[in-house]
Order: sequence, then structure tokens, then C-alpha cells
Amino acid sequence: MSRHTSRRREFLAAGAVGLAGLAGCTGFGEDGEEFQPGIIGYGREGRELPGGTSMQEMPPLSGTLDVYSGRGVALVGSLFDYIEGLYDDFTISPRYDSSTALVNRIEQEGDNSVADLFFSVNAGALGALADRGRATALPGDVASLVREEFRDPQDRWVGTSGRARSVPYNTDRFQAGDIPDDIYAFPEEPRFEGTVGWTPTYGSFQAFVTAMRIIDGRDRAKSWLEGMIDAGAESYADEFQVAQAIADGEIGAGFTNHYYPQRVLDGRPDAPLATAFTRNDPGAIFNVAGALVVNTTDDEELATNFVRHLLSAEAQDYFARITFEYPLIPDVEPVGDLPTIDELDPPEGLDLSELSDLEPTIELLREVGLSV
Amino acid sequence: MSTGTGDPLGRLRELLSGERSTGLTLLAGAIAAAVASPLVWVLASAFEARGELGLLARPATIEVLVNSTLLVAAVTGLSILLGVPLAYLTVRTDLPARRALSVLLAMPLVVPSYIGAFAFVSALGPRGILQSLLGVQSIPSLYGFAGTTLVLTLYTYPYVFITTRASLKTLDTRLVDAARTLGHGRWAAFRRVTVPQIKPAVAAGALLVALYTLSDFGTPQIMRFDVFTRVIFVRFNSFSSDLAALLSLQLVAVTVVILAVESKVRGSGVRSEHPGGQQSRLRLGKWRIPALAGAMVVPVLALAVPLAILGLWLAAAGPGRGGVGFSVGAALNSVGVAGAAALAAALCALPLAYLAARDGSPLARLFERAAYVGYAVPGVVMGLALVFAGARYGGVLYRQGLLLLPLLVFAYVVRFLPQAIGSARASFLQVSPRLTEAARTLGEPPGRAFRRVTLPLVAPGIVGGAALVFLTTMKELPATLLLRPSGFETLVTQVWSAQRSGYYGQAAVPALALLAVSAVSLFLIVRLEGYDVD
Repeated sequence: MSRHTSRRREFLAAGAVGLAGLAGCTGFGEDGEEFQPGIIGYGREGRELPGGTSMQEMPPLSGTLDVYSGRGVALVGSLFDYIEGLYDDFTISPRYDSSTALVNRIEQEGDNSVADLFFSVNAGALGALADRGRATALPGDVASLVREEFRDPQDRWVGTSGRARSVPYNTDRFQAGDIPDDIYAFPEEPRFEGTVGWTPTYGSFQAFVTAMRIIDGRDRAKSWLEGMIDAGAESYADEFQVAQAIADGEIGAGFTNHYYPQRVLDGRPDAPLATAFTRNDPGAIFNVAGALVVNTTDDEELATNFVRHLLSAEAQDYFARITFEYPLIPDVEPVGDLPTIDELDPPEGLDLSELSDLEPTIELLREVGLSV
Repeated sequence: MSTGTGDPLGRLRELLSGERSTGLTLLAGAIAAAVASPLVWVLASAFEARGELGLLARPATIEVLVNSTLLVAAVTGLSILLGVPLAYLTVRTDLPARRALSVLLAMPLVVPSYIGAFAFVSALGPRGILQSLLGVQSIPSLYGFAGTTLVLTLYTYPYVFITTRASLKTLDTRLVDAARTLGHGRWAAFRRVTVPQIKPAVAAGALLVALYTLSDFGTPQIMRFDVFTRVIFVRFNSFSSDLAALLSLQLVAVTVVILAVESKVRGSGVRSEHPGGQQSRLRLGKWRIPALAGAMVVPVLALAVPLAILGLWLAAAGPGRGGVGFSVGAALNSVGVAGAAALAAALCALPLAYLAARDGSPLARLFERAAYVGYAVPGVVMGLALVFAGARYGGVLYRQGLLLLPLLVFAYVVRFLPQAIGSARASFLQVSPRLTEAARTLGEPPGRAFRRVTLPLVAPGIVGGAALVFLTTMKELPATLLLRPSGFETLVTQVWSAQRSGYYGQAAVPALALLAVSAVSLFLIVRLEGYDVD
């Protein structure tokens, strides 16, 4: 009987998780816009409003704002609703699509674009749009809400939340000290033989390999990939699935964005799952979702003040608590058992907007024999 | 105009009557030019990338060309092998439950490829349901050429099935009987009489399959097989829309080759003075039940897998989430835009199909073929081309969002017009012009002769074509995402929103609604056609 039940559970899990997983390779999903269990609407349960500036203390918003949002309605819809609800005379007119499609769209629309604000899932799309001369620089008092490394050097865009690459591991299988802080050590350590999960078709993973290619050169990236293949790395369709498989003990460790293990833990607080981070190498890149005021806006002040709202205490708390991302203003801490931003050690001198150069990465993945 | 009325329908009828063939040619030319116009954007963008022409000769690009060609050939061939016998079984034999079976056999058409392929991977892929049921370590890979071919065939063979069925229905079986009387065996009669009559329709369906295969993105992307749409997507993703346009141009070239092949193969059909006259059915005898069971295998496979997966999504649905999920408004929007697209496509198809069937001039052929080119252009390319045109020339109307819905319907017409043309043209071909001539001799004015004689005979073909446009539009995603007005939700955009954020339970409801609405439409269409005319 119990055997039967467990088979059925497995079956359902395969259905749900196997599917959850595919978003990344369908081309309809985008990094960081995937599965999130147990989401609730905006509220402040169990957590006091952190430091930072409250929306109440910010210049009020009025008028209509056309937001081109690469972040899905499921993730930011209730935040938009909340902000709209604060003011009598403020409306957000959102256009949801993938971040890359929206960049292409704004480019094609030229001077006649409706967009006031572009809200992107990654720095690559923000950089691409800014490089096409389509951004309006943000005033210093808005840009400076965020530390320098999380915004454009010319203040053409700011990050609004962050995600770190991480190494989730099963705590029954490994101690914290067993996880190397050097990404290049993984293929060489025998204890990881046949027990590491990765996601060759997944956008975040490909961005990580792109970073490896850019920082340490193609040859080094290639030998790392070959080493991992020799060590029997297991392919999964997406990183949420990797985190689930680690929690289930199916594999011992993996490479994912930091919020996937957090999302698993949110649904299963007792799962034997913890997160480690490598130091100053491509395994530790820190990417941001962010906003850019489009140069065709007819109300620059409104768009700018909306960016300010995205950096308010409430919005930053929302990103920490609801999407499990890293808040980017200094006074809001991440949720869960995570190091603070200052304790992370991402590689230096990497221009995040270069991570959109995917094609050579795909060629490389194919060259080493991975099906992507 | 001799009538002197400003009534546009009257004018159209007059144009269609053949009396004013210059006017008709001009009208057809204008439609062809309009639907081919997005290609101007593709050409202009590709021109921007002229420095990168070497891209087209790179080994990786050549491989993509070979892959795309192989895929088109395999899917088209298999679709003919499935579609034609199934059409024959449901129209020309005494198979039980023919009407229900016909609906079932056409049904896979309503499943969007991104749901179908997704479901197959979830069910049969690595760590999928089949593997967990069998409890084995690994199963043969579904990815690549074989899996892509399988899934695309399962969801596109209905094009051949539907066009062939329409033509078999209007088949003049007295010709078959005559052949039998003249000493031909059943097979010889089929080969020498039936085949030439249905060949244009089979070719029309096969062309739709071939071009759909070429333009589909969801299936090869999910099944990881590198074809044009997939590399074009990669280029868009790295913000190189000019390189994407260059590759799209190569895709258009392949389309032109396919169109030329189809022109050579299809033949001119057989005209009958008694279309639809006399139906005598082949008796299957003891083969009735085995034939029925065999015919069921394909649609059941194509439908059961996605339905089972959608069911699992529902069962495993987590708590809801604001902004995602099903709404009745979205269903109405879907039906509204798809209906508008179907109507517009049927109206545009009429002059093009009539001209192509009745006027063998190179110009008539060119117009009809030109209308096909847009079909193979991927939706994202079409969408961006129209965004560009709308923003550039639409001024304040574009900024107010008023142009978006008309542009969206136009995009659907450009993409799917060939589905309406194909079956309309095949119907016109089967009606002898002498019927209209006879009516004229009896004193009917040309417009009336067309309306009273030709139109009723070709109506099933035109309705069938419009129905195909309706069903394909219902499931179209990429152009819909780009061209919908802000806040305008359809069933596919709801599936997309929920799925991309991982809310599979919430994606299941609009997906099932999409299948249900399309299935009901399909059922109504089959009834409307008055299918069972025993």
C-alpha cells in the first residue's frame, strides 16, 4: 500500500516537476521567471518592514506609465497592483513579454515607442538597450540608492534585485567544508563523481558558461565542461529540478541560481539542503534584474519616480520575500539562510551585459558533446 | 461598373464573375502585395547585415539548412501517408461512426505545438512519466530528428486529412463508376480517376504541412533539433535582429523552392460537371472494426498525451497567483480575433483562389504563390516587421494602441491565408466553368450566376479553409505576444504567462479551455458542412 502511494507520488512529481522544468528550454520562459511554490500576495507576515526609504516618503506618482516588463505578471503583478493602489491617479499599463523580445521591440518602434520604462530580468538586456542609445540617464539621487557595481557606469540603468550563482548541496551527503570555493576544483574532486547535477539547456547555466569563457578563456571553459562530463554530471531540464533532486538525495550537489534552493526550502523547510558559494570565479557571478527609463518616455519624472519606488523598502522587501532574490539597497537583508551581499565574492571586472553573447557558448557546449 | 452601385459586395461578385478579369486581377494583385509586404522589412533588415553574408555559408548554417529540409520532407511525407488513407476511410467507405471519427481525426490540429511537444517530452523524455512508471534508469532519447518528426507529424497531418476529405466529398463518383464499367479494377479506377481528382487537394494540404513545419518554433525548440526558426531565435536573443532577418531570407528562399515543387507536382485536377454527384461507398465488410481501431490510434496518441499531462498539471496545481490563470474574457478575445482573421482570410482568399483556378496566366499563379510566402515566415519575424511598420507609419494611432488589433489580425491573415486559399482553389478547380456558362446562357447575369451556381458548390471548401485559419489562429503565440494591445489577454497568452513562471496548474485551465473551444468549433464546422449526405 505504502509502496503504491509512493509510486503514485513519484508519478505526480514527475509530472509536475518534469514540466516545471522545461520552461527554460521552451524559449517561452526566461531566467529567474520560473517555479515558485507557496507564493502569497503582498503582505508583511512574519517580517517587519526593513530599513530603507518607504514609498510613503517618496514623491507621489500620477498619470499613466507604460511599463515594458520582461518579468512575468506572476512575479511582479501584485507589486504593480500595490503601487497603483497607493495613488488615486496613477495607472500602470504593462506589456509583458520576454526581455529580449522587448528590447527588439523597442528598437523596431524607434521614436514612436510607447515605452516609458523597461523592466528586465537581466543586465544583458538592459545593457543592449542602453547601447542602442535608448536609455535616459537616471538622476544621481535615484541611481545612488544602489551600489555602483549593480548599476550602469553611466547610470543609464539600475539593478532592482539580484541573483547569485550558487552550489546547493545535500547536507546528509556533504559537510559545508566539503564544497570547494573554486569552481574549477569540482571536476577534480573524486567525491563529486556521478553526483553533480547541471542544466546545459538552461539560460542561467549558459550565462554562467559564457562568463567562464569571457573571464578565463574558451580553452579553460572547455576543459572544465569536459572534466564535468567525465565526472558523470547529470543533466536536468532546469535548476529548480536540480535543487529538488538534491533535496531528494538523488544527487549530492549542483549548480543553480541561489533562489532555487530557497524556493525548495520554502515548500519543504526540513529538506537536507544548504547552499555554498564559490569565490571570485565564474561560479560566483552575480546578475541583476533592473529598470531603465526609455528615451521616448513622455513623462520622464514619473518614470524616474517609479524606479525610485522599485528601490523602496517595500519593493525591496517584496523581492527578498516573494522572489527570494537579493535586495539591492543596503538596508534590506535577503530572506533565508544566505550570506549577505557583502559576504559574496563575485568575479571582478565582468561586464554583465556581455553575458548575452550566447552563441559561442552554445557552440562550445555542442563541441563537447552536450545536446542543447 | 455597369450596375453603377457603390455596393462593394456587388462589385466583388462582378469582379469574380470573370467578366471583369482586369479588375479581378488588380484586386488579387493588391491582396498579394499586401500580404507579401512584411517581406520588405525582412529584406531591408537583411540588407543591414550584408557585411555578414558569410554567415549563410558557414558549416553550422548549412547544417541547419539540411536539417530543415530533411524535417520538412519527413513530416510532409508521413502526413500524406497518414492523411490520405484516413480521409478515404472516412469519406468513401462504410466505416462506422464516420462523423465522430472525422472530428477526432482533425482534432490534433487544435493542439498548439508548444503544448504537444512539451507534453511528449514530459511523458517520454528523460526523468519523464514513462521512465518513472517503468522504473528504469534510462530510455531512448526522444530529442532530435526522430522526436521532432514524430510530434510535428502528429499535429500537422490533419491539414492533409482535411483538404483531402473536402475533395473526396465533392468527388464525382460517377467517373469512378464509368471507369469500372469500362473494365478497370477497383485499384486501377482509384489510380486513374480518383487520384487525379484529389491530387490538387492532397498537394494543397501537403504544402500547408511543409510550410507549417518550416515556420514552427515550439516543437524543434523543445525537441532540441536545430532548424531555421531555432537559430533565428538565438539571433534575436543576442539582439541581432539583422542577422535574424538574413537567416529569415534564407528561410524564404527555401519556401520558394517548396512552392515551386508543389506547383510541379499537384497537376491541374479534373473538372466535373457533377461535383459531389452520386456517392457510392466502398464496403469494408469484416474490416470495418479493425479499420476503425487502426484509424483511432493516431488521434488518440496525439490527444491523450497532452490531455494526460494537462490533467496532471491540474492535479498538482499549487495555490493560485494573481494575474495568472483563466478568464472568460480571454476566451472571448481568442474567439474574436480568430474569427476576424478567419473571415478576413476567407474574403482575401476568394479572388486569389478563383483567379488561380480559372486563369492559368503566369500573373495569376504569381499572385497566388506570393500569398504563400508569408506562411513560412516565423511569427516573431512577422510580429517585429509589423511593429516596425505600425510605429513608423502609424503615428499617434500607434502610440494610442489603436493600430495593434488590426495589425494583429493582419499578421494572422498574412501567416495563415494559404490555408484558406488552398482549399478554396481546390474547390474551384473541381467545378467546371461550363456550369456557370450554362447559367449565363439561361440569362443569369454574371454575378448572379456566380452566386447561385459556383458559390454553393465551392462553399464547403471556403468554409473549411476559413475554419483552418480560425483553428490555427487560436493557437498562434509569437505574433500574438508582440502585437496584442497592452492588457489584451487571449487563451494562449494566459498559458504562456502561467507556464513561464512555473504555475502549471494555472496554465492547464486556459490550455484546456483552448482545446475545448477549438474542439467545439471543429465539431460545428463539420456539422455545418453537412458532412453526412448519404
